[in-house]
Amino acid sequence: MSLFVRRQLPIVLVFVTALLVMVDYFLKIPGTGPVVKDLQNWGIILTAFSLGFGAVNLFYLHTRHISRRTAGQWPFSIWLLLMIVVFTIIGVATGPTGPQYSWLYNASYFALSATVYSSLGFYMTTGCYRALRARNAEAALLLVVGAIALLRNAPAVAVGVPIIIPMEAWLSAIPTTSAQRGIMIGASLGAIALGVRTMIGRETGFLGRLTEAERRGGT
Amino acid sequence: MSKKGKGFWGRLEDVPREILYAILLIVFIIPMLNPIGFPVPISPEVKKWKDTIEAMPAGSAILIDFGYSGGGEPELGPMAVAVYHHIFRKGGLKAITMSTSLEGPLLWDKVIAEVNPAKYGAKYGVDYIHIGYISGTETAMAAVGKDLRATTNTDYKGASLDQYPIMTGIKDASSFKLLIVYTTGGDQSEGWVRQWYTPYKVPYLCSVIAMMVPTMLPYFKAGQIVSLTSGAQAGQMELLLGVPGRGIKSADVITLTHLLVFAFVVVGNIAYYGRKASERARGG
Repeated sequence: MSLFVRRQLPIVLVFVTALLVMVDYFLKIPGTGPVVKDLQNWGIILTAFSLGFGAVNLFYLHTRHISRRTAGQWPFSIWLLLMIVVFTIIGVATGPTGPQYSWLYNASYFALSATVYSSLGFYMTTGCYRALRARNAEAALLLVVGAIALLRNAPAVAVGVPIIIPMEAWLSAIPTTSAQRGIMIGASLGAIALGVRTMIGRETGFLGRLTEAERRGGT
Repeated sequence: MSKKGKGFWGRLEDVPREILYAILLIVFIIPMLNPIGFPVPISPEVKKWKDTIEAMPAGSAILIDFGYSGGGEPELGPMAVAVYHHIFRKGGLKAITMSTSLEGPLLWDKVIAEVNPAKYGAKYGVDYIHIGYISGTETAMAAVGKDLRATTNTDYKGASLDQYPIMTGIKDASSFKLLIVYTTGGDQSEGWVRQWYTPYKVPYLCSVIAMMVPTMLPYFKAGQIVSLTSGAQAGQMELLLGVPGRGIKSADVITLTHLLVFAFVVVGNIAYYGRKASERARGG
């Protein structure tokens, strides 16, 4: 395959596509709308396809674990593949919102997912007990702010000690929002830089594995 | 250091986590079994949320995104239930739901079963509908905003949208007067600002898990979100609407567990300074 097909053509495609989407978003030039609409629908189809592709990749990875009897892994790999097969068969047979599929989801994945997420509360509690210590001035400040947020989020405490409400509101509106804005603006500038570099072919990760010479633009 | 060598303060400082877990579990279970009925204040954000829906003219269409996963259901599910109660009780609104989360349609089924729209006379396809999971997250939001029918022609069970009266006249973002999002993902909560509020100025109500609230505050403070709530405020919404449910039950749990964690922090610090003082005394 020529370098043009492997490197330059994808970069041109990315450049034109990104330019079209940006022009449509920011400038609303007549004529770009229908093209961008089609591009977005292609994006949706590709994302849906990638879910199936991910399932195939899981099969590939875990059948290797099973065939090699990877220590501490292969029994879980069997269980994972079994669950994929069971969910797929029932989903295809009864529909992804059918009663049998819903029962399977509620009885297994949903219950486990909610349990795992809820168990974070236990870790956070012990974390607060051991880590929120006023060891120095900065830690004391964190402790005070954390305590205010903690008490404000306890509904009955906010009723009994109403002074906590404006204190937490100020913390949210001024220091938290300011810091968060700074983080977001910084991340956005980074994303813009990455986007521009990708458009002009300076970021080539999306092209797959290229040789060092190809990455530099050589043959 | 041996346990004996640690002294009282050292042992208190390093109290085994199993004991902390057990205390938390007890404090969690008691109010679940016997609700205490602590007072629950109504925050301005929850009131604003209710007022926004209340002010919707009859016939308005609302797009709702069930963008949360099973892990977030205990927090966001009660909020979604309370808000559906409000929408159906008010009547005359078109509640069109989609999901940017794979699990969304299944979780929506649970919420609708809990709400029981029939008791308000609401009918599927007339007053409410689910148009299914649409992959692509932010791409899906942009595509639905441009042309909903080009994105999906069927509801979540695969039936054609043409047969449902609720979909008459629904084309794109301009067809909707309000956007409601329940999500556990930053891609969704921030994506809707970028893909719907910024280009189409659709008023946006956002409910996220409590730990996501700080990341969404800049959008809220900038006026891009009409009201921002966490699922932990579901009890407030239920109280305001007069539809007690899972949220108000968990309000007691939230109060007691937060107080317990506060007490743990205080005890942890007393133990820390007690140990330091006793070490200084021994050293002196």
